[in-house]
Amino acid sequence: MSSSSHAPEIDRSQPAVVVDDLHRSFGALKAVDGVSFSIDHGRVVGFVGANGAGKTTTMRIMATLDSPGGGQVRMGGHNVVHHPSKVRRLLGWMPDSFGTYEHMTVLEYMDFYARALGFKGADRLRRIQEVMDFTDLTPLADRMSNKMSKGQTQRLCLGRALLHDPQILIMDEPAAGLDPKARVELKNLIRILAQEGKTILISSHILSELGEMCDTLLFIDQGRIVHHGDAQSMMRGTETTGETLVNVQIAAEPAKLIEWALTAPLIKIEEETKRGARLRIQATDDATLAGVLRRMIQDGLPVVDYHREERKLEDAFIDMLGQIDKGKLKTPPQPLPSKNDE
Amino acid sequence: MNAALAITDFPDRLSPMVVKELRQGLRTRMFGLVMVVLHLLLVLFTLMSGGSGNADAISGWFDGIITLVLCVILPLRGFSAVADELKARTLDMLVLTRLSAGRIVFGKWASIASQSLLIALSVLPYVVARYVFGGLDLFGEVSALFYKWLAGAVVAAVVIALSTQRQFWLRAVIIGLPLLMGGCGMASFFMMSRMSAGSGVTITTFSIFGTGGGSVSVPVILGLAVWVIFFCLGLAATRIAPAASLLAVGKRSVHLAVLLILLLLAWATSLGAELTVVSSTLLSLVMLDVLTERVNEVPSVYAAFYRHGWAGRVALAFLAPGWVTGFAYSLLLTALVVVQTWQQRGLEEAQLVVISAASMWMLAALLQILPTRHARDLLPPFIFLWLGLNLLVTLLAYMLMMPFAMKGVTAWFTCALPPLMPVGYATAQAADKPAFLQLGLWSALLWPVVLLVAAVVAWRGTRSSRQEAWRMTNE
Repeated sequence: MSSSSHAPEIDRSQPAVVVDDLHRSFGALKAVDGVSFSIDHGRVVGFVGANGAGKTTTMRIMATLDSPGGGQVRMGGHNVVHHPSKVRRLLGWMPDSFGTYEHMTVLEYMDFYARALGFKGADRLRRIQEVMDFTDLTPLADRMSNKMSKGQTQRLCLGRALLHDPQILIMDEPAAGLDPKARVELKNLIRILAQEGKTILISSHILSELGEMCDTLLFIDQGRIVHHGDAQSMMRGTETTGETLVNVQIAAEPAKLIEWALTAPLIKIEEETKRGARLRIQATDDATLAGVLRRMIQDGLPVVDYHREERKLEDAFIDMLGQIDKGKLKTPPQPLPSKNDE
Repeated sequence: MNAALAITDFPDRLSPMVVKELRQGLRTRMFGLVMVVLHLLLVLFTLMSGGSGNADAISGWFDGIITLVLCVILPLRGFSAVADELKARTLDMLVLTRLSAGRIVFGKWASIASQSLLIALSVLPYVVARYVFGGLDLFGEVSALFYKWLAGAVVAAVVIALSTQRQFWLRAVIIGLPLLMGGCGMASFFMMSRMSAGSGVTITTFSIFGTGGGSVSVPVILGLAVWVIFFCLGLAATRIAPAASLLAVGKRSVHLAVLLILLLLAWATSLGAELTVVSSTLLSLVMLDVLTERVNEVPSVYAAFYRHGWAGRVALAFLAPGWVTGFAYSLLLTALVVVQTWQQRGLEEAQLVVISAASMWMLAALLQILPTRHARDLLPPFIFLWLGLNLLVTLLAYMLMMPFAMKGVTAWFTCALPPLMPVGYATAQAADKPAFLQLGLWSALLWPVVLLVAAVVAWRGTRSSRQEAWRMTNE
């Protein structure tokens, strides 16, 4: 899928994306208020927030479509304000509205953008063919671009964004309005692009999908980044509480488990269940959790099920916002964990 | 299936935007319908012409339908050209390609102009047929067809410039109101002439645009048409260009060069008086553009000037994007046109040029004083203010000045507002005219001073951007 001839230069010694103390106001409204984060090369990052939280404004500034009121944004090492044309060659932009044209076939649509991106002659035709094959648009080549289903239009829009083989992809609500089949197709395409090493930033309000697609998640609220971390830790709540909820079932009376938990260190009983209990363990690491299970078995408890409870990302996000409102949680902006750290 | 190989309709060397617009434009029902109806009518007229044996008999119909198509119907197809891209948010995607804002609007205009040319060329066989039937100057008819196409191309550029405004009603009003104002103005002038004829008072036309009447050469007309197209497309491009673009430098350099050429031509040829009128018109249009540009706060824009040392800093004062430098630039252009007018038409006319420029500065100053200064695009409020003020002036001329004119008294109060002055000057007693102009001139000079104060305040607002630019330059 890569196009060597139009691949733009990128400084790999720096993170793919650096957003530093970004501000943007519209009149009295602070749309973005001191947003800072960085994304390493090859990461798939979800950008989460309610409507009006500042996602689209941040993404538009990253895509050189708006100017920051303060702070700076560097994409592939290039400042978006000082070198917008270099940044544009590095990034593919998929807005939330797909934007097709009347009286234009799919092939003509791709041909127009390929020409506009500077592809010429056979090189252009080859690149169009590659992208259309990748996005499975070839069978639709002669279809009018404004007379397709949402899923097809969305693939067309992705194809357009990939024509110049961008290293960084910014996708604003790409799954909005898609049926389940189209969502799965989109997820597959994003997975392939991630495997090719592209850095992808996706905004969405469907958190469960982002959890499956993304390495890490960025949460934005009222123009500020309120949290960043991976989806699993968010769902377990480990990042915000330092505790883990474990559901245990035993092949005996639940009272036996309760009795054991009352004397065990690091463990609190959340509630008794039909066949066991929900326990709150004051640890998040795998080794401690495995140690707790080992002790249960050593102490003669007939454990038949032992698993970490996961919340929905939506619940986790709402919990986190609640804790921020109460002042219990403060997350200073930090770089997202890199692949090497894992 | 090898889909990509199936697309070979337009060559690589054509601009992508022209290719896109042509692909879309030629497929619309409108284009097909216009083509078919036009040819049916032309066949009918030509047969009628052949039947009568005299081409002149149906010339009016023949010219009328072609003019309607080339100068009205086809150019109006650009009415939503840019607005549609803005609404569908496809403009963002275009900006991210290698297409500049200038190439985007040029592509839209070139497509309409090409479609017009296609229709104009398809009309040629009918012209030849009518020539064969007799009573027709073939060269004259072909020339007339060319000028109709050119006029249509100019109208298309104007319409595309207006299409950068998102709201349909706004575009409709901006096109409709000038027509209404023109009609009112002509009616007013006609009535004033009739009334003054009865009262024995001589009405002098506002002489910046009024006199002349000599033949203006073909190259000047062609040059002017090209300039108007460039101006309109520049105006449109500025409205859609990213904040970091330096479009203003190219536009202002060209306008300055054109005015310098006109100055030289006026000095070197016998067309001095006519060219002075042209320069004054150009000045007003350029002021409309430069005084409505948003103040730019992108450091890289200023850094581009700082990199060129002291010459860059001088250029920045006149050519950097934004109305603040636009004001400085308009002072420079006004000085040039005043010199040209003074040389060609005398001091009085030169003073009227200053008063005319002051009308524009007044509007720009009002825009900065009123809440309109926060508007995303200053062009619509400027145009509305301008149209509103002209409407007011016309009404005032009817209501207030008629009694003065009838009694043969100079309406001194019109000196208070620059847009009123030309009307007051036109109805003033001959003996009062010099004093009227002196007073009007001093009163008019208030507005550039007001605008200067607003400009200094706005310029200070860009200090942090300029400091950042300076830091970038020295890194």
